[in-house]
Amino acid sequence: MTEGPTFEALALPLFEPLYNYARWLARDAEEAEDLVQETYLKAFRGFGSFTAGTNFRAWIYRILRNTFLTSRSGLRGTPQVSIDDDPDRFEGLAEAATPETIFFSRANAAALQAAIEALPLPFREVILLSDVENFSYKEIAETLSIPVGTVTSRLLRARAKVREALRGSK
Amino acid sequence: MMQDLTAEEVERYADGEIAPESLPEIEAHLRDCSRCANAVLGVMQMKRAVRAAMPRFTPKRPLVLRKRASQTFVWFAAAAALIVIAIGSEMLVLSRNTSARELADLHSTILASANPIDVVSTDRHTVKPWFEGRVPFAVNVPDLSATPFRLIGGRVVFWHGRPGAYLLVSKGAHKISLFVFESLPSLGSTPQMTIDEWRANGLTYVAVGDVSRDDLEALRRAYGG
Ligand SMILES: [Zn+2]
Repeated sequence: MTEGPTFEALALPLFEPLYNYARWLARDAEEAEDLVQETYLKAFRGFGSFTAGTNFRAWIYRILRNTFLTSRSGLRGTPQVSIDDDPDRFEGLAEAATPETIFFSRANAAALQAAIEALPLPFREVILLSDVENFSYKEIAETLSIPVGTVTSRLLRARAKVREALRGSK
Repeated sequence: MMQDLTAEEVERYADGEIAPESLPEIEAHLRDCSRCANAVLGVMQMKRAVRAAMPRFTPKRPLVLRKRASQTFVWFAAAAALIVIAIGSEMLVLSRNTSARELADLHSTILASANPIDVVSTDRHTVKPWFEGRVPFAVNVPDLSATPFRLIGGRVVFWHGRPGAYLLVSKGAHKISLFVFESLPSLGSTPQMTIDEWRANGLTYVAVGDVSRDDLEALRRAYGG
């Protein structure tokens, strides 16, 4: 009988990234610790239902995220109206190609950080997962339980919002 | 020459998400079209800027996962505040502090009392039947003769309304309290006292004493944990 990797082998290396993600979701150090704690508990308890060979990272991030969403501050911070994921209606290219984008390389990091922190959760988390945690679209889709196409359009809109905010802050 | 990239293609290209079969055509276009190349560059710069701008938070406390046969312990080490214990299929979230301190206090109170135990016997064949009818479960009193531990006796304790068996065990001059409950209310930890918990034979054991963790692990093994 072949046994897959143990829970510890899969989960331990993710401790710090999970904490970082929790910290960005909850915006509070203590709450982030509680979130990670609960995530590990739930993940350990539910490990039997995890299918070996599938993406453990997306699986445990999804647990963390769902735990956050049902936490008090998660409920407070999540918009009750669902965000519009309609992909088109978006003159993305024209906008992306304007010369303003070039200043990102020199953009004030604090302004950029503030712009991301101010994003509604659905936009904030796709940027964090893609740009900070280096998740593939497929992993993001699994983590957020949304189709891959939605990941694309949501990232597009999230980045447009950041650009907008930065332009406004100049 | 193909048409300009769509906004989504720009995004996907910058994120490395273009299907391999579409890459040659898109890259050929990017070489020829400064408009699209600028757009891609803009997204890539933004990605890089985001990564650089977002501080990475690191937890103040390390995580320790420790595996024993049939038991996994998960906790933030070095801090009393958060402890989680996984016991077999049942997991107990050990909440902040108070319960562990209560058990440690109970340990100290019993040891300080004039009659710490109600059945005084080093003979497990005396102690085990004594608990029958006094607690709603059978108390496992193993043979400690091959260990550095000695059974001194036992009594019944109530904690949070739950009846439990209390076994007093010595190791040299040190006394260890072993609490046995059917199930355990939330525990925590206490900096003054070493505490170990385990589950065996459907019961939860909590050992408390001013001895080392290794000592309590040896006691745990003697008790089938
Ligand atoms: Zn073009």
